[in-house]
Amino acid sequence: MALNLKRKRAGDLESRKNPKLDEVMDVNSENEEHGENESAHEDSEDSGSEGEEWNGLGKDVEMQDARNVDPSSSKSKNPAPTGEEVRAIRDATDLYRSSSFKLQIDALLPNVRPKLSRAPPLEKFLLKLHTFLMQLPAVEPQHPLEAARKLLKKGVAVPYCLPLPIEDTNWKVSFEKPEDITLVGSWPNKVSVKAKDGLKYGVDVAVQMPDGLFQEKDYLNARFFQKKAFYLATLANSIRNSKSGLNVDVSYESTAGDPRLTKLVLTPKADGSATDFTKLNARVCIIPTISTSSPISLHRLSPSHANIRVNSGEEGVHHPSPLYNNALLTSYSPKLHLLAMYNHIQSIPAYADALTLLRIWANQRGFGEGSKLSVKGFENAGNLWPALLELVISGEEPSSSGAVNRKPLGKGLSSYQLFKAALSCLAKHDFIKNPALVKSTATHKFPASEYQEHCSATLVDSSSLVNAFAYVPLGCIDMIRHEAWKTLQTLYSSSLAIDPFTDVFLHDHRDVATRFDIVFQVDLSKAKARKLSPHESLDFGSATNHLLYNMNAILRKALGDRIHAVVFLQPSSTSDVPSTRPLTQAYPSTSSTIFVGLVLNPTHAFNLVHLGPAADSEDTAALAEFQELWGSKSEMRRFKDGRIAESVVWDVKTADERSHVPAMVVRHILQWHFGLSEEHVQTWQSAYDSVIRLPKEIATKYVRGAGSAMGFKGAMQAFDRLVKQVKALEGQIPLSLVNISATSESLRYTSAFNPVPLTQSLAASLPPNARYLQPINIVFEFEQSAKWPDELKAIQKIKLAFFEGIATGLMNSVPGTKASVVLGSGDITDANELMDKAYLEIVTPEGWAFHARIWHNREATLLDRILDDHGPMPHVVVPKKRKQAERKGKEYLDAQEAKEVYDRRFIHAPRHHRAVAALSHQYPAFSGTCRLVKRWFASHWFLGGHVSEEVVELLCAQIFVLDGKYVGSDADIPENTLSVVPSTKERGFAMIMRFLSEWKWEEGGLYVCLYGPKKEGEGEGETGAKKVEPKASSGGVWTVATEVDKDGKVWTKGGPDGIVARRVRALAGATWSYLQTIENGTFNVQGMFIHPTQDYDFVIQLNPFVLPRYVHNIAANEGLLGKGKFANARAKDQDQDIVLPGFDPAKSLFTDLQRTYSDTFRLFADPYGGDAFGAVWDPTLKEPRPFRVLGGFSSVPVKKESEKAKDKGLVALNDAGVLGEIERLGSGLIKAVVKQR
Amino acid sequence: MAPSTSTTVVNGFTLLPVSHPSSSTHYIYARQHVAPKKAEASTSKKADLPAGRTLFLVNVPPDATERELVLLFKPCGTVEKAILDFDVQESQEDDDSDSEDEKEAEEDAMEEDAAPSSKRRKVVKEEVPKVVPTIRKTGLTAYVIFLDASSLERVASLASKTRQWPVSSEEPSGLAHYSTVYKNLRPPLDSIQEHVDTYMELFEYKLAKSKQKSKYKKGEAVVDEDGFTLVTRGGAYGKTLGGGVAVATKRFQRSGETSARVRTKKDKGEKEGFYAFQRAEKQRSELINLKRKWEEDKAKVEKLKQSRKFKPY
Repeated sequence: MALNLKRKRAGDLESRKNPKLDEVMDVNSENEEHGENESAHEDSEDSGSEGEEWNGLGKDVEMQDARNVDPSSSKSKNPAPTGEEVRAIRDATDLYRSSSFKLQIDALLPNVRPKLSRAPPLEKFLLKLHTFLMQLPAVEPQHPLEAARKLLKKGVAVPYCLPLPIEDTNWKVSFEKPEDITLVGSWPNKVSVKAKDGLKYGVDVAVQMPDGLFQEKDYLNARFFQKKAFYLATLANSIRNSKSGLNVDVSYESTAGDPRLTKLVLTPKADGSATDFTKLNARVCIIPTISTSSPISLHRLSPSHANIRVNSGEEGVHHPSPLYNNALLTSYSPKLHLLAMYNHIQSIPAYADALTLLRIWANQRGFGEGSKLSVKGFENAGNLWPALLELVISGEEPSSSGAVNRKPLGKGLSSYQLFKAALSCLAKHDFIKNPALVKSTATHKFPASEYQEHCSATLVDSSSLVNAFAYVPLGCIDMIRHEAWKTLQTLYSSSLAIDPFTDVFLHDHRDVATRFDIVFQVDLSKAKARKLSPHESLDFGSATNHLLYNMNAILRKALGDRIHAVVFLQPSSTSDVPSTRPLTQAYPSTSSTIFVGLVLNPTHAFNLVHLGPAADSEDTAALAEFQELWGSKSEMRRFKDGRIAESVVWDVKTADERSHVPAMVVRHILQWHFGLSEEHVQTWQSAYDSVIRLPKEIATKYVRGAGSAMGFKGAMQAFDRLVKQVKALEGQIPLSLVNISATSESLRYTSAFNPVPLTQSLAASLPPNARYLQPINIVFEFEQSAKWPDELKAIQKIKLAFFEGIATGLMNSVPGTKASVVLGSGDITDANELMDKAYLEIVTPEGWAFHARIWHNREATLLDRILDDHGPMPHVVVPKKRKQAERKGKEYLDAQEAKEVYDRRFIHAPRHHRAVAALSHQYPAFSGTCRLVKRWFASHWFLGGHVSEEVVELLCAQIFVLDGKYVGSDADIPENTLSVVPSTKERGFAMIMRFLSEWKWEEGGLYVCLYGPKKEGEGEGETGAKKVEPKASSGGVWTVATEVDKDGKVWTKGGPDGIVARRVRALAGATWSYLQTIENGTFNVQGMFIHPTQDYDFVIQLNPFVLPRYVHNIAANEGLLGKGKFANARAKDQDQDIVLPGFDPAKSLFTDLQRTYSDTFRLFADPYGGDAFGAVWDPTLKEPRPFRVLGGFSSVPVKKESEKAKDKGLVALNDAGVLGEIERLGSGLIKAVVKQR
Repeated sequence: MAPSTSTTVVNGFTLLPVSHPSSSTHYIYARQHVAPKKAEASTSKKADLPAGRTLFLVNVPPDATERELVLLFKPCGTVEKAILDFDVQESQEDDDSDSEDEKEAEEDAMEEDAAPSSKRRKVVKEEVPKVVPTIRKTGLTAYVIFLDASSLERVASLASKTRQWPVSSEEPSGLAHYSTVYKNLRPPLDSIQEHVDTYMELFEYKLAKSKQKSKYKKGEAVVDEDGFTLVTRGGAYGKTLGGGVAVATKRFQRSGETSARVRTKKDKGEKEGFYAFQRAEKQRSELINLKRKWEEDKAKVEKLKQSRKFKPY
């Protein structure tokens, strides 16, 4: 036994020696083995045979051990894990976010790496290429233009860059075989990451140009680049030649659209030969490089050096050319980068994985290549990620000023830790203000201050001198910072509905609709900068790059603290504008449209005034700059506090328009600085606005009739007035009023339409189908009193008496008020005598309508007594049999219904109202989002009948409250947090659509932190709710829980059921994919709100002339809103009473049909003025079935198949009969019932 | 779809095709009402649904009214009464076709109705504001009671051909219906006042009456016929409803537990982790748990992998 123990320990020791990386690698290789690679697996087995043998021995020993202690261990099913296993598990839990996070990462990584089994043809090709290039004959030195002409004859354009060589240049271009050919980049280091949208892996080949081709002065005036261009063109010409035997397509590609950074791209022709690597989905890029031993001296290339010396206006003054210098330095870097990365991979076990994770993260967010919109400046940022990781690992070069610098991190971190550290570095380090120079063993050639002075954002790695951020517009750097911050929040938070792993790595976040508050499509073809600096343009290498960079910088400056980021987006490679170009084309082509995305900072975004320097300020330069920036918009103004200052003021007419201020800024700047007029800058904000607005003609009538007392503000004021008036009735009613709470969406800013009052005179001027008056629900709460009767039916009657008293009192005290007591809703529910159903209808003199109910909390107790197992008196034990009978009895069912209504109406609704109203104040975009989403649900025929308004509000709230940390707090929310929540309703809408299309409600409910953060221990309740299996037929399947409603069913009890919920998901998915078409410019906001009706079995078309709400219809026909002949007839006989609050016969018909035929078909309708209902039969009813007394549907006997067949008494749905009935029930309302299937 | 016009019988039901003007044929199923077998139910129902002359209908049109039913069956003989909403709540019950017309709760309600003086009740009825009849659920049942038993036999003859549905013009439908409902729901204020007053008067009267009838009276012991005294819990000030014997709390009656503070079990005698083997055992089980979780996670991820979830793009 002792011997065994010893041996075991030895085994442990052995395994302890293995770094944990091995385990990770093991998992990886296992995965590969699963996935695709059998031969590679065999290889690895062969090579590792020695280790295998040893392990095998160890296993044997352990097995013997196990046999020795067999009796004890066999008892338990799960034997204790071995030390090795424990270590692996502990590592996974301690070094990663959680153990499953690690497993997920392990599962993810092989999917983004190239399949090595397909690599051999590539290797053969590279070998062939190497031999071919090394045999190339030299070309005699010749004049650059002459050389170009010769090559052009052969069909190859030489990509000379600006300033172009001229006839009297005295230097020559030539070609000699390369000095060295190296495989560089991520391919040889095996850290390639699959690109988005099926773009190819890049295999970079550095072809080192011989030093002899260059002279010391070649760094001047792009001479080096011209020589490089000729070298490249010669290479291209010879590779293309069929004699080369390489059989590839050759094209040019310019990194970041800079012709100075042109490279050759070789893609194989699929010919099935040994060197055909089509299957690998890769391409070979030939990058001409230069060795550090070349005659060009490095110190000439610091950012402050002026190396383009063209004759500018001022004689003898040369501007520094940082980008030009950077481009030249890039030709030195590939080999250095290769070595640096190799060293890192060798010394840091998790480096490769961390780099892969980082690049997946970036690709998913558009910081990379892709045929969808990607962030400008990051298309070819291959060097950025290693540099960033290096910065995290090695720390920052100490700056001369002695500022606190980034400390190096250890080398033993896990891939996840490295990834997170890199993100936090991205999020926290301001690369624009503080240039980051990675600490290196040798000191950096150029001091940080030089970068700071001449470059905008700087990240320089340790091995070379290249600035990885050189081409990135500033706004896009803001964006990556913002994204990094957002991802960190996701990783830190624990209470999110979505899995953080999925969100960080698996979701595509490139869509513009949910990412940016405002999106513009800008047509650049007419853009012309107001002030052009030819020198800067030369420094940039291409005019387009220069224009974009400048545009971004000016916009960023003008928008200032209104935004977190202004981002330019363009697909890096599409079928229309591919990133590669044929050899005949010397310069990269550019697409003329660009998308601009804004991430707003809601605290300042909608400010109407932008203050400039004071009039009496000494700083005239600042004044001039301000005027220059704003042009005609800048004006001297005197403010209320006596200041006189230069300022910019934006005119806003309506509340809706205020959210357009940032867009106005962008339009003005583009107009003023780049001459882009309205039609070249497109936004979709106004189109969204029009969806939740009344038709223009009607709206003007309202404005004329009601003046400024409209909208939510008007409704609030009317409510406050009413509260005062009712409170003033003290003494006229027996009990005093304690509280009046509102429960209406009109008073919490979330009704789809702006609330409007409707007076008699105003109504007369409107067509009858625009005379709908939405009543506002409120709840009266009286003081406690023992005088109430202790019986439910009597309580309901006493309520009537109260209403009567208040009505008489109000009409006496406030002239012009109309009040009446309404007995119920006029349908079958009125038969329930226990339920609260009467309400008081008040129409104020201004034309606002209120529906008031009375909350008496004794009702709950009385109802509970019926519902409880005990009878009315607790000490009387009810016999069990009778109890069961009562469960089914009418009283029990009535009480159940009444209790439900009571809870919803008096407990949950006021609380919900308060929380939602508070949210509307806290987040400016919340109300708009709710309104748009409600409109969407309505226009797709869900709202009201299937999806309650409250649950829509909860869904919308969910993307605003996040983890509920800031709910109800008066403290200002950090701006960072605000940037995660949408600041415009358009973005909110898109986020909800995305959520709805992805929400797996079958798997779990939603928890909305509407009433504050989730408390510990509530998780169990949630999982409990998860387990509730939705029944096929009964009620809603959505679970939307809040702190006060743990089951999450208060607002979803009535639906949507499984079928409807699936349809919601499908339609949201369609809307979501339609939102993606913003990118191709075919997007139209109205299109998302047009409902497809072809799926319905039959459609009931209503007569739009008699629908009071027709004016709200999404596609209201203005012609139908006029006064038809029918309208006149109606107006005559109803002269005195044309304001009917809440009168909506279409809704009544809908509820009646829905209830009557609940088991026959499912009915859908748009509550906002929809002029059609759609219905789907219950498909099972069409099948003949045996007759049953309580079948619950209108049936017709089925004819026997033959005379001989036994009569089984089968019946089937009498669909024609039902349709006839419907037509009869809705006579006068229904125009036609159209059977579609 | 349309069946032959000859008399069709489905499961013992006679098929009565009817049609509305300008709409298609609707089928009503009719059968003689059979009294339920249960004795106790029949006692109370006898008066309402006389066995011999009651017709049981299935699948009545949702908007049918009593009057329309009476008119429909007039050719068979004089109709005494048509009952539509007899068992609305029946649909919730198990659908045994034989027991559709017994309802205990209903029975209770009826008894209750019979109790108060019929004169007072009449007064209230007059005041209840009238609301136009609403639309019922489709496919429901109804009863038609004829004056004469012979009428039932004649019903079968109705089945031979499709008959027009008698429309009583008094009842508005569609848009007019909703307008009327809207108007009728808002009665004049004085009628409401009157209604409430009479209702409350009746309510007080009933309350007083039931108090008189009640076995429980303040300060009096309740002794049943076997001589047992009823013992109840005292009120707030020690006043008891019945006998003056103190009893347990409400809580005890409900849950059988005396107090909320259930005595927690004190120390189990031994301390955890006192012996080395306990600690070792604990450690071991922790490790096992750890591994189990790990395996679970692994299995979960493996499952996700099967569904190709880890392909990011």
